[in-house]
Amino acid sequence: MKIDEQIDDFIHQEKQIQPNSFLATRIMAKLEDSEQVHRKIPALQKLAIAVSLTLIVMMGIGIGSIGKFTDNYASININDTQIENLNLYIFDSYE
Amino acid sequence: MSDEQLIQEILSGNKEAFHTLMLKYQQPVFRTVMGFVHSKEDAEDITQDVFLQVFRSLSTFQGNAKFSTWLYRIALNTSINHVNRNKWRNFFTASGDSLKSIFNRSNEDKNPQQQLEVNEREKMIRQAIEQLPEKQRTAFILSKYEELSQREIAEIMETTEGAVEQLLQRAKLFLRKKLAHLVGK
Repeated sequence: MKIDEQIDDFIHQEKQIQPNSFLATRIMAKLEDSEQVHRKIPALQKLAIAVSLTLIVMMGIGIGSIGKFTDNYASININDTQIENLNLYIFDSYE
Repeated sequence: MSDEQLIQEILSGNKEAFHTLMLKYQQPVFRTVMGFVHSKEDAEDITQDVFLQVFRSLSTFQGNAKFSTWLYRIALNTSINHVNRNKWRNFFTASGDSLKSIFNRSNEDKNPQQQLEVNEREKMIRQAIEQLPEKQRTAFILSKYEELSQREIAEIMETTEGAVEQLLQRAKLFLRKKLAHLVGK
C-alpha cells in the first residue's frame, strides 16, 4: 500500500470516531456551573474584604495592647540648665 | 437560523441558541481537535474548552470574518496549546496507548500479530503527523480532517492561498520521507 493511502486510511479511521452524544449537554452543564460560580464570586469577594478588614483592625488593637506601659515607673526631673551652659566648653577658658 | 441570528440570540441571553450553535459545530471542532490529539477523551475535553471560550468571548466577535473561521481559530489555538503543554506526557504514554488499542479492538478480523502490525503502523503515522512543523500541521489537519478548501484554510490561518498550497506540499513530502520505510510492509 502506498504511503499516501496509508495516511488517508488512518485519517479516515480517526474521522469515524464520534464524540459522546451527551457532549453538548455536558458543555451546557459546565457553562451553568461556571456562571453560578461567577455570580457567587462578587458576593464572596465583598464578604472576604469585610472580614479581612475587621481582622486587620483587631490585630492592630491586639498588637497595640502588647506594648502597653505600666503605671509604676519613676519619673526623674533633670535640670539641664547647667548642661546647656555652653560657656563650660569654651576652649579658651581652660587654657 | 443563521449563525448571525444565533449569535444575536445568545448575546441577548438565550442559552438554547448556544446549544443549537454547539450542535451545529461540535463535529467539525471535535474532528479538528482529533487531528491534533488523536484521543477521543482529550478531544472531548478540548472541544468543551473551545465552546466555553466561545461562549465567554462571543461578545468580542466582531463579524469581520465568518463565525466558523473564528471558531476554527479558537479550536486550533486551544489544540496547539494543549499539545505543547502535554509534550512530555504524550511521550511517556504513547507506548501504553498502543498496547491498550490492541486489546480494545477485538471486533476486527485480525490475529494479534496482524493487529500489532496495524497498531505499530498507526502509531508511526500518528507520530509523523505530530512531528510536522506547526503551520504545516495546521494546514494538513484542516485539509485532510475537515476537507476545507485552500481558500478557507488561508482565511483561517490568515495567509495566502499560495502559502497554504506550499505548506500542504511540504507536509506531504515530510510525511512521505518520514514514513518511507512503511512501503511494502
